[in-house]
This record gives sequence, structure tokens and C-alpha cells, in this order.
Amino acid sequence: MSKTLGWKIGIIIAVLVFSVAMFYPLNEKIHLGLDLKGGMHLVFQVETEVAIRKQTDNNVQRLKNRLKELSFKFEKVVRRGDDKIDVIGTLYEDERALRDIFDDEFRTWTYSISTDRITLALKEIEKASMRDQTVTQALETISNRINEFGVMDPVLQRERDTRLLIELPGVSDKEKRRVMDLIKSAAVLELKKLEADGFETREAALAQYNGVLPDDLVIAKWAAGSDRKGYTVLRAESVVTGRELKSARRDTDEYGGAAVSFTLDAQGGKNFQRFTSANIGKRLAIVLDDRVVSAPTIESVITYSGRITGRFTVEQADDLALKLRSGSLPADLRLMHEQIIGPSLGADSIRKGIVACGVGLALVMIFMVLYYKGAGINSIIALLLNMVILMGVLAYLGATLTVPGIAGIILTIGMAVDANVLVFERIKEDLRAGKAPKSAIDSGFKKAFVTIFDANLTTVIAALFLFQFGTSTIKGFAVTLMIGIIASMFTAVFVSRVIFDLVYSGRKKLQSISI
Amino acid sequence: MKIFKDEPTIEFMGKRFYAFAFSGLIILAGIILLITKDFNLGIDFTGGTMIEVSFKDDVSVNDLRKLLSQVGHGKSMIQRIGEENKFFIKTEQVFEPGKEEAESTTAADKHEGFTGEIKDALMSEEERQLNATDKLDLNDASEKQMMDFLISRGIDGDAAADAAKKLIGITSENTSGLITSFSEIEKIGLPAPVMSVLKENTFLGSFTFLSTESVGPQVGHDLRGKVTRAAIYSLLGMLIYIGFRFRLIYGLAAVITLLHDVLITLSFILLFNIEVSLPVVAAILTIVGYSLNDTIVIFDRVRDNVKLMRREGGSLILNRSINQTLSRTIVTSGTTLCTVIALFFFGGEVIHSFSATLMIGVIFGTYSSIFQSCAWLKIWEKKLLGRKKT
Repeated sequence: MSKTLGWKIGIIIAVLVFSVAMFYPLNEKIHLGLDLKGGMHLVFQVETEVAIRKQTDNNVQRLKNRLKELSFKFEKVVRRGDDKIDVIGTLYEDERALRDIFDDEFRTWTYSISTDRITLALKEIEKASMRDQTVTQALETISNRINEFGVMDPVLQRERDTRLLIELPGVSDKEKRRVMDLIKSAAVLELKKLEADGFETREAALAQYNGVLPDDLVIAKWAAGSDRKGYTVLRAESVVTGRELKSARRDTDEYGGAAVSFTLDAQGGKNFQRFTSANIGKRLAIVLDDRVVSAPTIESVITYSGRITGRFTVEQADDLALKLRSGSLPADLRLMHEQIIGPSLGADSIRKGIVACGVGLALVMIFMVLYYKGAGINSIIALLLNMVILMGVLAYLGATLTVPGIAGIILTIGMAVDANVLVFERIKEDLRAGKAPKSAIDSGFKKAFVTIFDANLTTVIAALFLFQFGTSTIKGFAVTLMIGIIASMFTAVFVSRVIFDLVYSGRKKLQSISI
Repeated sequence: MKIFKDEPTIEFMGKRFYAFAFSGLIILAGIILLITKDFNLGIDFTGGTMIEVSFKDDVSVNDLRKLLSQVGHGKSMIQRIGEENKFFIKTEQVFEPGKEEAESTTAADKHEGFTGEIKDALMSEEERQLNATDKLDLNDASEKQMMDFLISRGIDGDAAADAAKKLIGITSENTSGLITSFSEIEKIGLPAPVMSVLKENTFLGSFTFLSTESVGPQVGHDLRGKVTRAAIYSLLGMLIYIGFRFRLIYGLAAVITLLHDVLITLSFILLFNIEVSLPVVAAILTIVGYSLNDTIVIFDRVRDNVKLMRREGGSLILNRSINQTLSRTIVTSGTTLCTVIALFFFGGEVIHSFSATLMIGVIFGTYSSIFQSCAWLKIWEKKLLGRKKT
């Protein structure tokens, strides 16, 4: 054996050992996709524009108050679109003062002043940062909720600016309702003073105020499942909000039903104490996501803690406490894509994948040995090594194996031997042309290499574009195909050559080769 | 074993017009089919919901349709999977129908939408009654739910977790995804207290959802754009690569051949009513790469032969090149076809349309490399033989 051949064998063994070390033990090192292990795949659109609209609404209110304070005259202040505010029918004497307000207090807005109208528009840079913040915050909140819920290895990613991808292994169709509620609920808690209760319709509530609701009041509906129905009138201003919560946990109410008790932080406690001491005998509405859950009468001064009751089941109370602990969502989520794969389907896919792999491999092996005899065995060794490298690289990259990924492996089995076929056919051709076996092997490998390179590169190009599709399952296919094809350049060219050399190097005068 | 004893001398160029006519006919048939019917687009593209459901007992498509029409989903597509009691139920309806702010429903209620309705519709009267009690349907419970249930019935945590895992194990072992009888549970050796809880407090429902998928219309719309771009870019990418490695006319001939493959595959997809889902598109793009691989091997020969035998004329060079590489072309498509056939027959329903598309593509990709690619090169014969830059 020559020295270079020894080196080459060393490299092959090193690659082999490295690959095996990478993927052994298989079931720990290779990540299975949701379609193989079962679970829930969700893609949400974060409705960032709604968050921007809300922000604009808040500013409409702020501007109105400010203009009133400074006794500017105007007809009305309204929101236009998601991000503009119009002040209509202005009669201002002091434009300078007006500009000062905008410059100082509405810095994130651009404004234009014409004779009868002032228009403010939220700056683009501000909108972009708000979108970004909204999505980041949503991601954080959901991440908290999922972690507390207790799912093994959840995946939570931001996709394309405003989308969230969530993968929850092991969660099945049966838990969908609960998980959806957990993820999608805004969980905005507000404690407000209740002004009036017992209206059957919104109109009935409005009639109390001659059809025009004062600015500092709002109408809210009783939550579904609570012990009351219809509408209430509340003070718009919140005494305490969910942001001032320090903790929340499931508790039981005086009748033994499930409830959620909470404690407030210092600021919240101070506000709550001030409010309750001034309003003993009045009612406090506990509002969750704009719906009144309960409205107990204030019997004594409360400072730091309270309890939410509302005919909850134990599970609902647990989840509500969890949501309150992990904070509220800054914007609604719109479901774009949902896929739930049961554990049995995943197991079935794995079984079928293994069978198809085995059958494919066996067919190709039989074909190659029948057709190329000794050289066929050479190509089978190369092919098996290719599979080992493929698994090793998959494990090394931390790539996820999916159903299409398995298909990619199976397809690779068929396509990877192509490099061998190209070489063998060249060798055969040269033998036919009368070349000596050794030089036929030499020139066969040399001539075929360029072709192999060009031909395989196109498959790799196709796989690269497939990868651009972005969906995780198709990515799995593209990745395995790509790795398999690239590995075949090593196994079918380098390794096969070494095997030929190894088998035939001992013989001084080579008469014929088995091909 | 050999396919050809010596280098074959088949006259391909002389028959090229037959090949053009043959392919033209298939593509024409495809176009005519397209006038009469649409592609069977999957929910990936149209948006909608797809449920894969498995039943314990024999059920027919008609039975299912009857049950579904009771809840107004009689028009859903219902398709039996293989010979088993498994079905796909597909509709274009999505999870959050209509108005965002339906009165008095929570986000979760709205979400349940279609799949929840279907589940209700498929239940028998007996199951509905059992569900109304606090008994647990083992065929409609997740591992976590089983565990929580057992704990709530006084089983300690570890035993409950172990039992839940084993119960889910049964459903994974059975291809139906269902536990068919309590005798199956008895075989897995659960401790006596767990067994008695199971016997008294649980039952085995008649069906289970193996998988559900809902795609919003926006996603489908986005995807169509993405797919079109991916297809165009990959064809362009290959044109540029071949143009760069070979010459532009090779690139043009190769891309025309690829378009031909795509059109023929699409024609067959129409003919066999194969559902066009994302994996099918992936299959088509793979075929593009595969067929090009074949074509390049032949063109590589053409390039060599042009240098060696320029004087002998285009037809001779092209014929010789095809013949020289013919056994390689056949062997490689043979091995690839072996694996695609294995995939088609053993790979399961999940990727059936994917493997069917691959099978068509591999066959016609091989055909086109032999009969089409060089025929197109022949059109630019003068350029091909021209001395400039080889």
C-alpha cells in the first residue's frame, strides 16, 4: 500500500468516525419535525396596525384634553386611518403656542396646520419601532405563558417582521381549545368603578345619558359565563391595571368555587387603597379583555390584594392566573396557519419512512450489483458511507428531519449512485476502446469528474431555491437532498477511487476488472 | 450485465419530429384538460381545512357525508385513504369564519370552528351522552389529559405519567391510531388501581383525528407568489449557470427541455387529478434539477464531441453523444426510479402525491433528456458548430 493511499484511507476513517460520533445515539441527536413526533404548529399574524390605531386613539384623547386645558377652540378631534389625527374647525389665535405644544409634547408626530384643520401623522420611524416593539412584546408574553403551561421543547420564532411561528411538540388536537385561549387571550385586566348596571342593551345604557355618553364613561358587557348578563356603565379611568400586578394564583372563593387571587405592587396598592377608602359601599368592576367578569361591592379599604371570582372551572382559574402573571398581549393575534399532528400519525410516518428507505436501498443495491458486479459492490460501500455522512451532517447542523426530509434521503439513495454510474460508464467506454484496466480507471475518474460536478450542481441549485420556500417541511427535503448530493461527490469520487486502488493495487499486472 | 453490448447507434436526430409531436400532443391534451377542469389545489394554496380521521369500525364515504350534511358540511371533499377506515375531509372553510367579534364567544370558541363541528357531527348518540358525563374518551385525549385525569382520580403522579405514556404508546403502535378494545389495555401491564380507574371512568370513542390542518387564505395567496418566484428564479439560475459553464445555446436548449418537463408533469397532474400541495411543487422543482442533471451529462458529451468531430455535422455529433451516454442515462434513471417506486408504494399517504409526481417527472425527465434536449440544440446547429469560443 502506498503512502498516499494510507493517508486517503485515514481521511475516510476520520470522516466515518466523525459522522457516527455526531449522530450516535440516533434518537437523541437527530431532531424530528412535528410531522414525525406529533404536535401543534401555529403561525400568527400580530395585528400591529391595531396597536398603532390604539396608540392614535390614546393620543386623540390626550390632544383633546391638552387643547381644552389651553382653551383652544375646536370643533372636534378625530382619528383618521390608523395613524392620523385631525383637529377640525380650529380657530386659533396663537399659532406659535400651538406649534410649541406639538413640538414639545407630540414629538413622535408630524403636523401640518392649515386654516381650518390641523393634521397630525405618526412618524414612519415611530410606527416601525412600534411594530417592532409590539411583536417583541407579544413574543415575550406568549413565551412566558407557554413556558408556564409546561410544554417540552417549544419553538417560538419571529418570522418575517410581524409573524410568529409557534411549535408545541406533544400538544394534540384535544388540547387545542385550551392552548389557543392561552396564547390568544389579550389578558388585559382593569379594575374600574361601576357606575350603573343592569341594562339589557347598549342603547338602554345610552338612554340613561340622553344618547350621548360623557367622555369619562364607557359601556362594557358582562363576560360570557359570568353570573350576570347585559351591559354596565363604568368609569373610563382604570383604578388599577394588570401591569400593576405583582402575582396571581388560583384560589377558592367563600363558596368553595375556583377563583384567582392577586397582589398588587407598591404603586398599584397605593392607588387601590386611595380608591377603596373613598368608595366604600360602591361597586368595583373587574374587567378582563373589555368584559366585566365580576363587580363586587367594596366593603372595606383594600390595599395590596384582591380576588377575582366569576364561576371559573379549576382549569380556567389556573389559566387566568397564568395569563395575568405573564402579562397582557399588546395586540391581537390572527391565526394564519395551524397544523396538528397526532402522535400515532407521526409514528406511522416514521415506520413507513424506514420501510421505504429499506426497500429503496435494497432495490438500488441489487440493481448495481447485477449491473456492475464487483464495481457495484464498490458503489454500495460508497452509498452506505454517503448515508452515514448524511446523518452525521444532519445532526451536526441540528437540522430537523421531516416527512419530506425522509423522502429526500430516499431520493438521495437513487441519485447519489449517479456519480458512480458516470465513472463506471466512462471506465467501460475506455475498456471498450482498448485501454489497459488501470489507465481506464484513472481516466474514467478524471473525465467523469467535471460532468459529475456540473450535473450535481444543478440539483443543488434547485434544492437551494426549494430552501427559499421557507416552510419547515420543505426545507427538510431541500436540506437532505443537498447534503446527500454533495456527500456523493466525496463518496462516489474519492472513496470509490480508494476502494479501486485498494482492491487492485496489489496486482502487478491487472488483466481485467469486474465492472 | 449490459444494456448494450457495444456503443449503440440509434438514430435519434432523424426521429426528432416524432418526439416533438409526441410531447406536443401530451401538452396539448393538458391544455385541453385545463379548459375543462381546474387543478386540484391543496389547502396550502386555496386556504381551508383538512382533517385526517380514523374510525374503529367500518364506515363508508356516504355514511360520512350524511353525518356531515347534518351540520351543513355535506359538500366537503371526503376521500378514503387506502383500504383502511381512514378518511380525508377537506373544505375551503377556515378556522375563523366571518366576523372577528362574534358576540358572546371567546377566542377559543371561534377558533374551534370547523374541526369542532366535524367532531360533534361524527359522534354517535351514545358517545355524546358519555361525553356529557365526566368520563374520559381515551381515543380523544392527549397524554397530558390522560395523566391529569388519572391524577384527579387519585392515582399518584409517577404511575399516572407512566400509564398515560403506555396508553399513547398503544395508539402509536396501531396504524389506526386508536385503542380498539380494553383487552389491548390489559396487555400493557398497568397496575391494578390504574386499571380499575380506567375501566370505571373511561371509554373508547369510535374515532380519532390523526391530523388537522387549517390554512388562512392570506397564507395561500402568499405561497402562490413565493412558488412562482422560486420556479422562475431556479430556471433563471440554471440558465445562467449553464450559459456560464457551457454556452448560451446550451442553456436555452436546457431550459426549453425543462419547461417541457414541467408542462408534461402538469398535464399528468391534471389527468390523474393529483392534489397540488406544497410537496408536489417541491417535487416539480426537484424534477427540474434532476432532468437538467441528465441533460447536462449529454451536453457535456456534445461539447467534447464538437471539439473532436466538428466536420461531421450536427446530427452525427448529437446522435453519437446521446448514444455514448445512453446506458448511463438509463442506469441512473433506473436507480432513481427504484427509490421513487419504493417511496410511492411504501412511503405512506402523507407523501403520496409527492412521490406520484416524482415518478412521472423521472420518467419524462429521462425521456426529454434523450429525445428533446439535443433536438433543440439541433435548431441552433450553425452556432453549435461555429468556431467561436467552445
